[in-house]
Amino acid sequence: MNSKIKVAVEWLARTLALLGGFVLISMIIITCVSIFGRTLINIGLGPIPGDFELIEALAAFVVFAFLPWCQITRGHAAVDIFTAFLPDNFNRWIDLIAEILMGLAIFIIAWKLWDGTISKTKYGETTFILQFPIWWAYALSLSVALLGCLVAFYMIILRIIEVIYGKTEINSNSGAVH
Amino acid sequence: KLHQFLPGQATVPKQVLQVWGAKIEEQSKGRIKIQHYPSMQLGGKPPELIDQVIDGVVDIIWTVNGYTPGRFPRTEVFELPFIQKDAQETTQALWTMFEKDMKDNEFKDMHVLGVWVHGPGLLHSDKPVKTVEDMKGLKVRGGSRAINMMLKQFGATAVGMPVPAVSEALSKGVINATTIPWEVAAAVKVPELVSNHTEFTGNALYTVTFVMAMNKEKYASLPDDLKKIIDDNSGLEFSVNAAKIMQDFDAPVRAKAVEQGNNIIVLNADESAVWAAAAAPVYDTWAKEMDDKGFDGKALIAEAKALLLKSSKMSN
Amino acid sequence: MSSLEIGIWSFPILMVLIFIRIPIGLSMLITGFVGSFLIGDNWLPILAKFKNETYSTFSSYSLTIIPLFLLMGQFARLGGMSQALFKAAETWMGHKKGGVAMAAIGACAGFGAICGSSLATAATMGQVALPELKRYGYSGKLATGTLAAGGTLGILIPPSFVLVIFAILTEQNIAKLFIAALVPGLLAAVGYIIAISIYVRIYPESAGSRERAPYSERFKALLEVWPVLAIFLIVVGGIYMGIFTPTEGAAVGAAGTGILALLNGGLTKETLMDSILETAASTGMIFFIVFGASIYNGFLALSQVPQEVAEWVVMLGLNPWMILTIILIIYMVLGCVMDSLSMILLTIPIFFPIVSVLDFGLSPDEFAIWFGVLVLIVVEVGLITPPVGMNLFVINSMAKETKLSDTFRGVIPFITSDLIRTIILVIFPSITLFLMRWLY
Ligand code: NA
Ligand code: NA
Repeated sequence: MNSKIKVAVEWLARTLALLGGFVLISMIIITCVSIFGRTLINIGLGPIPGDFELIEALAAFVVFAFLPWCQITRGHAAVDIFTAFLPDNFNRWIDLIAEILMGLAIFIIAWKLWDGTISKTKYGETTFILQFPIWWAYALSLSVALLGCLVAFYMIILRIIEVIYGKTEINSNSGAVH
Repeated sequence: KLHQFLPGQATVPKQVLQVWGAKIEEQSKGRIKIQHYPSMQLGGKPPELIDQVIDGVVDIIWTVNGYTPGRFPRTEVFELPFIQKDAQETTQALWTMFEKDMKDNEFKDMHVLGVWVHGPGLLHSDKPVKTVEDMKGLKVRGGSRAINMMLKQFGATAVGMPVPAVSEALSKGVINATTIPWEVAAAVKVPELVSNHTEFTGNALYTVTFVMAMNKEKYASLPDDLKKIIDDNSGLEFSVNAAKIMQDFDAPVRAKAVEQGNNIIVLNADESAVWAAAAAPVYDTWAKEMDDKGFDGKALIAEAKALLLKSSKMSN
Repeated sequence: MSSLEIGIWSFPILMVLIFIRIPIGLSMLITGFVGSFLIGDNWLPILAKFKNETYSTFSSYSLTIIPLFLLMGQFARLGGMSQALFKAAETWMGHKKGGVAMAAIGACAGFGAICGSSLATAATMGQVALPELKRYGYSGKLATGTLAAGGTLGILIPPSFVLVIFAILTEQNIAKLFIAALVPGLLAAVGYIIAISIYVRIYPESAGSRERAPYSERFKALLEVWPVLAIFLIVVGGIYMGIFTPTEGAAVGAAGTGILALLNGGLTKETLMDSILETAASTGMIFFIVFGASIYNGFLALSQVPQEVAEWVVMLGLNPWMILTIILIIYMVLGCVMDSLSMILLTIPIFFPIVSVLDFGLSPDEFAIWFGVLVLIVVEVGLITPPVGMNLFVINSMAKETKLSDTFRGVIPFITSDLIRTIILVIFPSITLFLMRWLY
């Protein structure tokens, strides 16, 4: 596979994950500031208004930003005990099929998230407290979900190449932590 | 497929929705089967019920209009503080306005079976609340946008969450108080979690509007005789009756709270008037917001008040 | 085919997909998606469901706890807390027969108090303790078995991911579940220590010895542990006292461990990026499974399988204890091939309606909490049962010279201890419930 494309896609997934990480850290800061303000309510401070809904909107973005990195490092949990003794070639076919199904799922998710964003825009739904339009949060997630489609597409191509040339480029990452 | 957010044992699911379903099944001689999925069993969070019925994910839903703020702007006029006296009268007025203005606008993408409100809403809190000043600094869950505006006006911190989340939030002190009618309070164990309840004389602190709706295509696909059965069991009369049931079930829950030794603070007419006055600015804020959305806010309030007066005269 | 038949057939099909190595979350997603189509004979409803379902699942406030706890575990490692814990435990118990292995268990328990995940605990403590165990002449069998088992304390001792997911699925109070899991978690640590002491008595050659540390050194090492204790007290205590929600607790914990790691120099630009990438991979995996499970479970509810099976079980009138035992055994068997989170997400929506109608003489809430802790334990046993035990793989990959079959054998005493503890907790529900009853 063209190594320039490979480097670019890996950079994309990595950058998205790091971006998600910094948003996660900012969520931690928002939460701590909010708790701090709320415990000092007697001296006139207060929690950040609408902290819950801010966290929720950002959380969706974070997860969408993390997913491509999980996919590109083969971090999705799978049971490999029954396929371990099968020939490598057979396993590469399984990889390809799994990757196509995964790509399909990610495409449908992004496509429907697009529909969701349109519908939230159309109906003018807002959040409870801050009353910002919900479609903002949807659009934020949608933007990373679309980039996730790119990564998924790349992974399918990669698997096709693996099947054709009969060698595995990325090994399963079983070091995922949970 | 009827999908909604409360447990099957709560008043509305049990006394309204299941009774309704049984009636439809009986009158259609089993040709329509209503399968009831309580507590969001089919997935999603309560705010998604509206989309689920529009998109045909499920056939029928029951939900709180306020869970999707901004989506049904005009229903909010009946959720303004101290506008409601009696749930049946408010429902009558709500239905009239719904038929006239909202049916073909906000609600045009679904086949509405009923819209109604709950009985007089009140405040449940960990510490006794008697005056508006007591509200300062409290973290309070409000059920809708209008209530949150009022809470802010009172100097409280409004926290938005659907009813099923209330018990955990109260038990952990994430919120100090919640607005909720007695009947729903029982379903989420509020009287066991806090022991102070503040009631008002005259008009109620607030109410919340509900909608029960059917997927449009599903309704259209029914043969005429079945459509008629659905029609006969929905609309104004059904809505008012649902409101009546909700309001009637307030009393036993209240009685149980009294029996438990909870502290029920009943504010007299004068004290209530002070609260109402403190909440009054919400009317202006709300009206202005509605103006920005292209409605005439003041006219809506006036219309709602006139309708309420009319239905109150009718019932007397 | 009726909806019910479609629902029942979905299960073997799902299993086949999982066993041919289709990612677990994807398998559930596909089965639920196709199944929902078959029931309604229409693609539109299930497609429409996707409009909001991803956003609402990923934006769930209670699930946000997961990336936060993951990051917290990363920071705790960077902050040197794992070393401090092991050092303290080692100076106090290292001189006893098998003492260094016991110290590793103690340190795992301590790390479990600030980390919500088994694999993270196993991996982190493995890094610290494996070289030491080797240095003092412990056999590869005992060393790897100890750390694989010790890793499960990461989830058995609160805070714990599996309990968060269980609480969300069954609408239980997360704080109460954490409190209830505390005593069984400590029992697990004690059980493992007993297992080690019996093992080294039978096979004395498998453990070396270490000189006794002077008390001055012991107290000095103990002092180094204060950040772990402080963070545990703030996070779990704060959640229990209602000062903050579990999600906020996780955020505070992540901030606290992050600051500590920054202060002692463990947190640099590089390690921060690595921590984020680790967190990203695990979060992505967990949320994709959560999403797949939510589609599959929505489909199951639609097919009415759980309700029908629950009614059928009640009709059979079997002994509730027998049903409970069967379910726990199913978990252990499944645990031989599946990971804990997927198992919980897949099975709780099926099993919980069945068991919650049975009468064990407990209130519904108490039953749910007791059942949750039992499931937590049997699911964690799965992490150390061969042939698929994630902890075994992680630890074994760190101990290069130990054969996997040796690790498999080394963990047997610990599995035995787990089985005995499970039986005790099943027979005496009050061991799990008394602390929660007393506090609430
Ligand atoms: Na833990
Ligand atoms: Na296993």
